[in-house]
Amino acid sequence: MTTSADHGPRAATVAFEHVTKRYPGTDSARLGAVQDLSFEVPAGKICVLVGPSGCGKTTSLKMVNRLIEPTSGRILIDGVDAATQALTELRRSIGYVIQQVGLFPHQTIGENVATVPRLLGWDEDRRRERVDELLQLVGLDPAVHRDRYPAQLSGGERQRVGVARALAADPPVMLMDEPFGAVDPIVRDRLQNEFLRLQANLAKTILFVTHDIDEAIKMGDLVAVLEVGGRLAQFGTPDEILANPASEFVARFVGADRGLKRLALTRVASLELRPAVTARAGDNAGDARQRIRADPFEYLLLVDAGNRPIGWIGQRQVPTSGTLTEDMAAAMSPLLDARTTLKDALAMLIDAEVQVGIVVDERGAVQGLVSADEITAFGRRDAEVRPA
Amino acid sequence: MIRWDVIRGNLPLLGSKLVEHLALTVVAVAVGLLISSVAVLLIRGRRPLVAPVTGFFSFLYTIPSLALLAFLVPVTGLSFLSAEIALVTYTLLILTRNVLAGLASVPPDVLEAADAMGYGRTRRMWQVELPLALPLIVAGIRIATVTTIGLVMVTALIGFGGLGQVMLRGYNFRNDTLVLVGFGLTVAIALVVDLGLGWLGRAITPWSARRSS
Repeated sequence: MTTSADHGPRAATVAFEHVTKRYPGTDSARLGAVQDLSFEVPAGKICVLVGPSGCGKTTSLKMVNRLIEPTSGRILIDGVDAATQALTELRRSIGYVIQQVGLFPHQTIGENVATVPRLLGWDEDRRRERVDELLQLVGLDPAVHRDRYPAQLSGGERQRVGVARALAADPPVMLMDEPFGAVDPIVRDRLQNEFLRLQANLAKTILFVTHDIDEAIKMGDLVAVLEVGGRLAQFGTPDEILANPASEFVARFVGADRGLKRLALTRVASLELRPAVTARAGDNAGDARQRIRADPFEYLLLVDAGNRPIGWIGQRQVPTSGTLTEDMAAAMSPLLDARTTLKDALAMLIDAEVQVGIVVDERGAVQGLVSADEITAFGRRDAEVRPA
Repeated sequence: MIRWDVIRGNLPLLGSKLVEHLALTVVAVAVGLLISSVAVLLIRGRRPLVAPVTGFFSFLYTIPSLALLAFLVPVTGLSFLSAEIALVTYTLLILTRNVLAGLASVPPDVLEAADAMGYGRTRRMWQVELPLALPLIVAGIRIATVTTIGLVMVTALIGFGGLGQVMLRGYNFRNDTLVLVGFGLTVAIALVVDLGLGWLGRAITPWSARRSS
């Protein structure tokens, strides 16, 4: 077998070229129709198709593995027109995860996961090895779950099995149709996070359908917003779409809180940090006073030998002569790190009733300062064009 | 009332008639299942054909069995064939309906997943649809078999009736023992077959019965 985990491509580009799907009948805006859709998903990226119900997002997804055939246009997978490939071969090379999971109730979890390898003719030892590997990958214990039936699993566990089954033959492309739509919000959040963690290693090309803009922003490297009638309203990074909605429709669809959503999407690392005026206990107070005077921010940050923050000393509390001592430090600010989202950072500042947060590195050393004003200004700013 | 010497004297007859009864039943249900399966394969996915075909089987089902035999004898004679034609006729409606219901009971998301993973049509039918339709198909076989065991009594009138003939002979010779034994054995095999197929129905669906935690 040449199609295998070892030799198969890890990811492929997926390109829609003027893809149209019309359904019989005169109403061109029929639900699920797709109108002249063109976009390209680079290899290894998650592209989320999002829009209201009837916008054709599921239709678009199903045209990739030809569960639905396009009326016109082409879908290229690594440059090869999907329409020219043998149907079963095409489908065995594309992972497919749906909301209802669609596990085979009469097969054990192990047999379910081994479906595509079985169709591809892998021998039993190799299948068994792959099943155990995949169950572990999605966080299930093979010894416990391998020989159970789907009816014996919880909704969240079934959904993990669905993901494992889709990954079984290491397909370069995965299609996911509201995969986390049927589980409760807490489980959904956990499954989303686990999946993003998996994807960081797998780097599959993924087309992901949802009607939930928050999920789209969270999961997508790229987001394609579709409107009813199957027209592409906007295609871009989540940040571009939140910052510069292309139309009234997109602006309404992403919601009035898009500024706040952008903050949830952006981490402290992407802000330009303001330098902190720091001093150590034992430093000359007069020098320190000079230095704060030159700075618009009127506080001195006292740090220890490892440059870790101890507390603030107000400009007026800095003595004109002598040395600085630790007991002069009165207030403290929340400590942020590069991975903190701007939304969380803002919440911490509001909570602590301060204007400025201290950004520290993994050793706790001061890197700089972030103010609430800078964060809110970022939420209003135009998107920077980021490399896809 | 029961004379054991009569039973002892007729053991070879009882044995052969019991086997004949079972043979008539098994052949009828098997042929009925074959015809029903072919019919279902033909009308599946061709919606306009479903109503006429099941309607025709319903019509056959309403024909009184005695009338059907009276109609068949001039054509196919007092033969095994006549008996089987009659018996098969009455299995068709039950079996066709249950096979259709079984296939319709396969969840659409399971079929979609099977298609999306690259099952061909034939493979999907054998490995996904049929196993999942089996509980309802077996339920249909169970009803058809029990019904047929009863109907075989009627085909005794044309000379192929298994235990029905034992009863008929008892009636003609005023031998109550043969009537009761023929009746008792028929009820007994109907019960055994019913229980057996009921058990089989559960045994082939381990996935739905067992539910841990």
